[in-house]
Amino acid sequence: SALAHADDDKQYRWRLAETWGPNFPIFGDTTKNMAKMVKEMSNGRLTIRIDSSNKHKSALGIFDFVKSGQYQMGHSASYYWKGKNFNTMFFTTVPFGMIASEQHAWFYYGGGMELMKKVYDQYGIMSFPGGNTGNQMGGWFKKEINSVEDFKGLKMRIPGFAGEVLAKLGAKPTNIPSGELYTALERNTIDALEWVGPSLDLRMGFHKIAPYYYTGWHEPGTELQFMVNEKAYNSLPKDLQKILTVAMKVAAYDMYSQSMHASGVNLASLKKDYPNVQMRSFPKPVMNALMVANDELLKEFAAKDPMTAEILKSLNDYKDQVRAWTNLSDRAYLDNFDAKK
Amino acid sequence: MDSVLKITGKIIDALGNFCSLLMVLMIINVFYDVIMRYFFNDVSIGMQELEWHLFAGMFMFGIAYTFKEDGHVRVDIFYDSMSAKKQALVNIFGSIVLALPITLIILYYSWDYTFEAYQMGEGSGDPGGLPHRWIVRSVIPLSSIFLMLSIFHVLIAQLKILTAPTPLEAGEE
Amino acid sequence: MTGIVLFAIALVCLFLGYSVAFTFAGVSLIVGTIVLGADLFAFMPYRIMSIMENTILMAVPMFIFMGIVLQKTGLAERLLESAAKLFGGIAGGVAISTIVVGALLAASTGVVGASVVAMGVISLPVMLKNNYHQPTATGVICASGTLGQIIPPSIILIILGDVMGVPVGDLFRAAALPGMLLVVAYVIYILILGKIKPEFVPPLVVTENKRELLVQALKDIVPPLILILTVLGSIFAGIATPTESASIGAVGAVILSVLYGTFSFSKMHEVSKETVKVTSMVFAVLIGATAFSMVFSYSGSEYLIEEFFMELPGGKWTFIALAMLAILILGFFIDFIEIAFLVVPILLPVAIALDVNLVWFAILISMNLQTSFLTPPFGFSLFYLKGVAPKYLKTTTIYKGVIPFILIQIAVLLLVLFFPDQLIIS
Ligand code: NA
Ligand code: NA
Repeated sequence: SALAHADDDKQYRWRLAETWGPNFPIFGDTTKNMAKMVKEMSNGRLTIRIDSSNKHKSALGIFDFVKSGQYQMGHSASYYWKGKNFNTMFFTTVPFGMIASEQHAWFYYGGGMELMKKVYDQYGIMSFPGGNTGNQMGGWFKKEINSVEDFKGLKMRIPGFAGEVLAKLGAKPTNIPSGELYTALERNTIDALEWVGPSLDLRMGFHKIAPYYYTGWHEPGTELQFMVNEKAYNSLPKDLQKILTVAMKVAAYDMYSQSMHASGVNLASLKKDYPNVQMRSFPKPVMNALMVANDELLKEFAAKDPMTAEILKSLNDYKDQVRAWTNLSDRAYLDNFDAKK
Repeated sequence: MDSVLKITGKIIDALGNFCSLLMVLMIINVFYDVIMRYFFNDVSIGMQELEWHLFAGMFMFGIAYTFKEDGHVRVDIFYDSMSAKKQALVNIFGSIVLALPITLIILYYSWDYTFEAYQMGEGSGDPGGLPHRWIVRSVIPLSSIFLMLSIFHVLIAQLKILTAPTPLEAGEE
Repeated sequence: MTGIVLFAIALVCLFLGYSVAFTFAGVSLIVGTIVLGADLFAFMPYRIMSIMENTILMAVPMFIFMGIVLQKTGLAERLLESAAKLFGGIAGGVAISTIVVGALLAASTGVVGASVVAMGVISLPVMLKNNYHQPTATGVICASGTLGQIIPPSIILIILGDVMGVPVGDLFRAAALPGMLLVVAYVIYILILGKIKPEFVPPLVVTENKRELLVQALKDIVPPLILILTVLGSIFAGIATPTESASIGAVGAVILSVLYGTFSFSKMHEVSKETVKVTSMVFAVLIGATAFSMVFSYSGSEYLIEEFFMELPGGKWTFIALAMLAILILGFFIDFIEIAFLVVPILLPVAIALDVNLVWFAILISMNLQTSFLTPPFGFSLFYLKGVAPKYLKTTTIYKGVIPFILIQIAVLLLVLFFPDQLIIS
């Protein structure tokens, strides 16, 4: 009909607010990729302008921006909204949870998307996976961690839920503005900090001042998040809705590849230029203690809120099932590969 | 008119004293946190967050107090050589056209902003952080209300200058 | 286009003499509402909140408090006068002491507002009392108070490190020599001024004999110096972050006043109220500026800048020369954070393509941005000093006073530009 035809020509100019600053590598590339794909696939009918944190000046205001419709879209991480609704945290990553590939399967085939919708619906926000960093490192430490005792009184910059887990072992989670992190670690004002991994840590310079780089436990597969204002989404014609969701999915997956690539490249240069940095893993007893503390904390929260319990059950059941396959496939392959070398 | 000036002046002076208190508490708070961390290896994210809550209240409310005290910096190249009446005109113009509208619009939008946090029960996402984020957010609308009172106070004071008899007329009395 | 209109209207209103903060905010509201609609201002609470929770800025009131305690208890005056007398009563002694104290403050924080205001309340009265040439006195304070921009730790270096993807530690190291060079250049300028125009920077009258002087100086200089060194030391020893070190300075100043017997509760009440006023003045300017930059950037004015740089002719030196010139000129009108976030990201890809050393480039930019604090009409250091200076000091006096220091900064910038290997420690 004539009406439908008029709709076809209509131009939609959207804006997306992201948590990251301008030119922030990898995370920032993801939004640019997505917007570029949308523009090309829609033949310019839907354009998305990206505003980085320098423009909107509120890195953690993304949720409120999208909820109120000030921005049609946002790019951030779900666990930043833990203070608003504890259940949002599960859609980024959980300590001792699934790795990226497992979590992807959970989102798209294991009921993850449905649970995320259940949590976000009340805010008029649609949430989508927004790109994975891969396994994150446990952090930069000035001292070696040999036993659970070594965590007692350890001042570490580690925000959010993981900080609560560490606090249970006697560590002292500490708030330091990111601009002062380097100085604070250098001068031993704090003893340790976590950031991301080789892909993004090197630009912060921590490898020059901390001798120990520990492997991860608290963010096994950090998935960022695209947010779309539901009303704005519904105002789009069906084809543009599809273009948008496909572009988000492709851009998110591409970020996972890019993270993997950047981590590999940066790790190589770290090893070459800073051979003194020692890569360590926490000893088994330490890992066990962390795992116990994590389970206890999650149980406490699950007892308080049926929704938390539902999400946690879904996550744990799915992990148990899919992990058996990961062990038999990837883990076995890697173990055998190493044995042959 | 004088009694209105007196009352509003008193309220804003009390606000100034309150801000001074917040400032001293903030310094003590930060110093305490440093001592506890370094000498007793004890860190509380709640106490760390309290630092900027006090800081925010101090300078946001202080803006209204400073307004009344004429402490906001001006570019005085021409202003200084103006007569008192011309200066009053600048201040009346500025208060009505520049200061009042932005204060009103910040009040309007920060109301929702604060209410949102209240409705969601938003708190800190960090271990041991402070609950009730709406309290610190409410500093923005509250400070706008105080600032409106201060603008009102200055407006009346400046109108008084503008309508006062000029020195010549006064001499004739 | 909107950006230009915004500037023009703000400029006119500014010269009317209404408060800087509300002129920025009010003009932005009018222009923003006409061009983009009043809805834009729904962002204001978020922007104000981000200032409220910026704990790095928390150093501002605490350093101001420290400065005002030192001033009201007469400790600062004694420090500066003794230090100046110790310089043998040479012309410019107080100014040189001011520069040295400014450099020390700069090394303890990167917050320009705090050091300009603290220096303004501490040493401006001393210089004025000693019949200093008013423009020179104000220029010295603005310039040495702004040193915090380049002498590490510095906010602008941290921001640039983030925007440019260069480790902050590298930038801090690279900034050390250029920062010191600037301090030395200021001192040399004052010494030369003392020779050519001794009446501008009169020496203090020294009547005491050498030994008396030394004893007196020790009594006056050592305690406040210990205070400043404690502030610095607390950072270096890892006791406090640079922000927190300001609280040590504030508490330390109160303790000193008790030791010197000049403490009283009524004085502290006065100090607190004064601190609130000065702090609120500084932060109101910040809030006004954030409204201003919001309208500036949401109206798409940054794309004009982008176009300009994209059409630059090729070549590394042309690029650097034009980039430096453009930042300098933009610095007259917009603040350093805006430049760091709006302009630097545009320059960055070009710099990378031309194989420009990014650490060196970042130091050049930060030295250039430091100048923007001093350049009229929108130089923040000028506003901050004006806010605490005696009423009879005119804005034009301050404008005049900073000119020589702007020229010195440009000269040092040129040195860093042409001798990177000698001046940048990598
Ligand atoms: Na500094
Ligand atoms: Na300027």
